Amino acid sequence: MKQIKTKNLILALAMSALGFGQIESQAQEKFFRAVGTPHQPKVETAWNRYYTYEGLVDVMQKIAKAHPKLAKIEAIGKSYEGRDIMTLTITDFESGKDTDKPAMWIDGNIHSNEIQGAEFALYTAWYLTEMHGSNEFIQQLLKDKTFYITPTINPDARNDFFLKPNTQNTPRSGVMKLDNDGDGLAGEDEMDDLDGDGHITMMIRKSPTGRYIKDPLDPRRLVAVGPDQVGEYEMLGQEGTDLDGDGRINDDDVGYYDPNRDWGWNWQPDYIQRGALRYPFTLPENRSVMEFVMKHPNIAGAQSYHNYGGMILRGPGAEEDVNTYNREDIRIYDAIAKKGEEMMPGYRYLTVYKDLYSVFGGELDWFYGNRGIFTYSNELMISYLYFHQNAGRGNQEEQLKVDQLLTFGDAFVDWKSYEHPQFGEIEIGGFKKTFGRAHPGFLMEQDAHRNSAFTIYHAYHTPKLSVMDVKEEDLGGGLKAITATIFNERMMPTHSSQDLKYNIERPDYVSISGAKVVAGFVVEDEDFKRYKEQKHSPEKIAVENIPGMSAVKVRWIVSSGSNYSISVDSAKGGKASWKK
Amino acid sequence: MKKIVLGCLMAVGMAWSGAASAQSDYPTLSQLNQRLQRIGSNASAELKSLTKTPGGKDIWVLKVGTGDKDQKPAIAVVGGVEGFHVLSVELATRFAEDLISKHASALENTTFYIFPNMSPDAYEQYHASLKYERRGNAASVDHDRDGKAGENGYTDLNGDGYITWMRVEDPMGDYMLSKEDDRVLVKADRSKGEAGKYFVYKESKDDDQDGKFAEDLKEGIAFNKSLTYKFPVFQPLAGDIPVSQPESRAMLDYLFDQWNIFAFVTFSPANNLSSPLKYNAGEARKRVVTSILEKDQAINAMVSGIYNETVSQKAYQQTNQGTDGDFFQWAYFHFARLSYSTPAYWTPEYKGKSNPEATYLAWADSLGWKDVFVPWKEISHPDFPGKKVEVGGIKPFVMHNPPFEKVEKIAEEHTDFILKLAEMQPKLQVQNLKIESLGNGLTRVSLDLFNNSPLPTHSEMGERSRWLRKIRVDMNAPADRVISGEKIQLIDSIDAFGKSSLSWIIRGKGDVSIKAGAPHVGFINATFKL
Repeated sequence: MKQIKTKNLILALAMSALGFGQIESQAQEKFFRAVGTPHQPKVETAWNRYYTYEGLVDVMQKIAKAHPKLAKIEAIGKSYEGRDIMTLTITDFESGKDTDKPAMWIDGNIHSNEIQGAEFALYTAWYLTEMHGSNEFIQQLLKDKTFYITPTINPDARNDFFLKPNTQNTPRSGVMKLDNDGDGLAGEDEMDDLDGDGHITMMIRKSPTGRYIKDPLDPRRLVAVGPDQVGEYEMLGQEGTDLDGDGRINDDDVGYYDPNRDWGWNWQPDYIQRGALRYPFTLPENRSVMEFVMKHPNIAGAQSYHNYGGMILRGPGAEEDVNTYNREDIRIYDAIAKKGEEMMPGYRYLTVYKDLYSVFGGELDWFYGNRGIFTYSNELMISYLYFHQNAGRGNQEEQLKVDQLLTFGDAFVDWKSYEHPQFGEIEIGGFKKTFGRAHPGFLMEQDAHRNSAFTIYHAYHTPKLSVMDVKEEDLGGGLKAITATIFNERMMPTHSSQDLKYNIERPDYVSISGAKVVAGFVVEDEDFKRYKEQKHSPEKIAVENIPGMSAVKVRWIVSSGSNYSISVDSAKGGKASWKK
Repeated sequence: MKKIVLGCLMAVGMAWSGAASAQSDYPTLSQLNQRLQRIGSNASAELKSLTKTPGGKDIWVLKVGTGDKDQKPAIAVVGGVEGFHVLSVELATRFAEDLISKHASALENTTFYIFPNMSPDAYEQYHASLKYERRGNAASVDHDRDGKAGENGYTDLNGDGYITWMRVEDPMGDYMLSKEDDRVLVKADRSKGEAGKYFVYKESKDDDQDGKFAEDLKEGIAFNKSLTYKFPVFQPLAGDIPVSQPESRAMLDYLFDQWNIFAFVTFSPANNLSSPLKYNAGEARKRVVTSILEKDQAINAMVSGIYNETVSQKAYQQTNQGTDGDFFQWAYFHFARLSYSTPAYWTPEYKGKSNPEATYLAWADSLGWKDVFVPWKEISHPDFPGKKVEVGGIKPFVMHNPPFEKVEKIAEEHTDFILKLAEMQPKLQVQNLKIESLGNGLTRVSLDLFNNSPLPTHSEMGERSRWLRKIRVDMNAPADRVISGEKIQLIDSIDAFGKSSLSWIIRGKGDVSIKAGAPHVGFINATFKL
């Protein structure tokens, strides 16, 4: 006991001595390392602001340049307006090719107004690369896994959101113009930024028959008068004019369609699923993602970022797909997401079709239903982050209070009078587009970190395979039996049960080389010697699945070979080998 | 000089009619391309290649019409949705030829889009040295989903240049000889205690040694199994996602830009012309609609009546009313157009026969068609050592495609049918026009917008779709003259022989006009003197 104590003491002294050295140098630079955050990162950036498409790409390029052994950047396709869809591949390239390791796909911003997914995804790339030098867990993680990170899969409309007048809800789509009002013309009545502040807010007008007054205690707020009272204002709706002369304001803006109704699993047309386009993957952005995923069967987990409401969502998106998600897979979904609820206080784990709305052609259903990939959609930002109580989505009282106490009026455009061509004298004002759905700056880094930690946990539990416990048995007559155990030490199987149901991905192969194989088997029950023979090419046994936290065994009868090696090759489980 | 001109004209004329009649078999792709080029050189036709298939073949569309083609209601005629249905390609092509040479007057009111061949990669197999009924294009596809693509196609075991069938004598087999015709094999009915005698497979070897035969064909995705309606995901010839191939994407992208199509006529194995699709209230009410809607069934029934009056062949065993992922159902359920399909040819009823193959053979025998059957003959098969394996059966193509000399009459009748359908197209007219002076310089203009057609302007499905435009009525008068009534108004639909009543109050003197219509309905203009 005493000895151990002394040892610990020495160790502690040694460490603090090291630490002192660091403190000295850090003190000179005025910084002291905070736990859990990259210290003096190679890529200096800020996580309390938003980035345009060009801003995102700039950070991505800096990451790739600063960490050439950990990060590569590539364009996986082009957007409707011709912007490159940029993806970072993050892995320890020195320990193996990205495609040989189980991978995690992360994207954001499919809905262009749901902006912060891009910063959160980018934070993950930055965090993994900057922490790698000092954190053993991240070092091992990037030896084992690959991350494919695409901060925005809707770059055109991301820029439209920032650079053009919008509300917090527009544009949800891309920037393709469709005929939304059915008059044969496309995009001829867009939103108008009358006061030129970049935010589409609300219009009110003084009216002798109005049913509202401005709250005398808070003039930002319009309140309805009682049934027996005369009001002062009427509401005119969204800031804008009737550009096409059809008597409706802003009724044919860009978009209408929904990029998250464009995916090829149980896709349905617009009259069934509003927002769908011509056929799955009509949009070039989604098509780029689909083609990338098809070419990277090592992707075993996926995360797509939306806003808002603090949710960890899994499929099915549509009630009609209830049977697609079966019990074995839901157990794994549950286990990961329940941890997520702890990691992201305020966030709740929900199922899209029953807790949100039933929808066809969504991204997460395609990832799971069509590719067998365990996928979540997180709805970022939740009222809980403001005052640690959940006041629900779009709670105006709470938002006014936030803007009074925490953001000091920065979130609201005060009512100002304006001479409107159709309505006469009106007032324009209301919440800015960057408030409500979007995080205020001071809440971003924390939530980005928590969400990144969740995706890291998710990635950690993609399969990890090893060949172990290789046993030989002399059968006499120059024959011996070799039995090998292939262990998967993480929660996810190499094939989700959806994958198994449709043979989405090829089987895992367990091969022996350096031995003359007479017969090969999958071991069904070792104790009772139940073996399933594979007659064709027995040296390469096809295993349909290696379940999570468990093992499969294979067996060969060989007639020669003492220096053999055994390897496993799985599309979603990576590679492992064993040598005698 | 005159003589020379006349001579040239005659030569052109002869070449034109000669093109079809000199032919003794269905055309090769290059013969077809020549005919399409010739059609495309006509002033009223535009020939366009939409894309190239994975096999490097053109996907052609002919747009035939006069004047402002995009503003007239249109019919799309589609062939080659199944590569083995070579008749369909010939029918679509002849329709285009005859439309221009014999029925040009139809172009005054209607525009036609003709897609002669949606499966040229597969079509080619008809003329290849190894002939078989092919559906897939030239993409590389892993149909049996074992990780390796196209590794177990057909093998011509008897070396006759046809892929037919092979039967393996085996007491455990599930097939037996048909009682109607001993050349034909039928499934033993175990519920009646019948014993099987054969296993039956397509003519092939087990190339990938997985115990299955011809389960991973050396062909790609079938056009008629890979569209979005009831897409059979992960099934052979369908693939992982719908509309995955360049030809299907190019065609759909093109169609979505042609707002004037009101109806499709597709030559394909499905048949909703001999008898209409059946309405099922339960399936029609579900969120994902899988039954024709009630009003549209009535339209289908009316059109079927016209088909049966026009086409002499009587329906027999026409039970295919659509298969998953096919084109003709897509055109209705997902593109919301009136959609009609017919194979155009089938084996007629034959007394005493009910099995389709036995019926066909009896009929072929009665006509003296010799070249339609490969007699069963023993071969040695590497996968069945010691077993009796015979190759034989009905030759590919013959059950779906008649001998070429029968095509002319089939084509004439189907062209007549399509032209009758064109005559039914929606037709807007102004009726009951009243121009009443209200005094003080105000005039009320009222009228009925009448659809003088047995078809509604929008089918019940069409009303639901954003891919059909509503009827738009524009009152062309300065805004300050329009006292009441809308300058622009949209009408969802006008019934067959139905109307929509409109009225405006206009201030002051001077002509005003209206424009009313939609691309798939046509437009009318009217000017009123005030």
